[in-house]
Amino acid sequence: MKAKLGVSALVLLFLGGLWLVAAPFVVGYQPRGAAYVDATVNDLWIGGSIAMLSFASLVIYAADALRELSRRGKHADT
Amino acid sequence: MIRKFVGAVTASLAALAGLWLMVAPFALGTQAETGDWTDTTRSEFFTGLGVAVVGAAGTIAFALAIHADLVARGLVEVKRREPEPSPEPVPAAAPQTSSAELATLLAPLVEALREDLNNNPRPNGKGSPVGVEENR
Repeated sequence: MKAKLGVSALVLLFLGGLWLVAAPFVVGYQPRGAAYVDATVNDLWIGGSIAMLSFASLVIYAADALRELSRRGKHADT
Repeated sequence: MIRKFVGAVTASLAALAGLWLMVAPFALGTQAETGDWTDTTRSEFFTGLGVAVVGAAGTIAFALAIHADLVARGLVEVKRREPEPSPEPVPAAAPQTSSAELATLLAPLVEALREDLNNNPRPNGKGSPVGVEENR
């Protein structure tokens, strides 16, 4: 139950990271065609990092859970 | 358990990033010290607040899951508070026997001893202690 809550937090963080990457263009503080302002650069770096990290954590979590499942299946066969 | 540890580390890093997002407009100088907050500041501050809260919640959730895992494997003992021992009931005081009742109880014994001493006097010729008592 607690781990599921943590996984839900990771999913929310991934979505938040995606929002941070899109925010400068959606909110409109980054003019189209102009050089990136400081806020845009900050949001892109932080948002991209959060999204990548949380996605990698979700993949690791899923892979480890699958490995445990397959191990249980092997034990059940023998 | 390693997956929960990875999740806890990621969530804690995200919480730190959220805190940075909250102060970034002021640290980078994109928000004037006086005046209303701009759209940029509002977006970054509230997004950072959400990321920080969710990251902290995720960190706590994964930490609790790791703790539960360790307890299930027997690597960590849970200290349970033992209930306070209830005070043992004090046994009721034995009914006090009065000295008159005691004398009544012991009278046959004293009488038997006296008779025994009178019938079999001591070889050293001294009088019986009962007699001594009587002379007092």
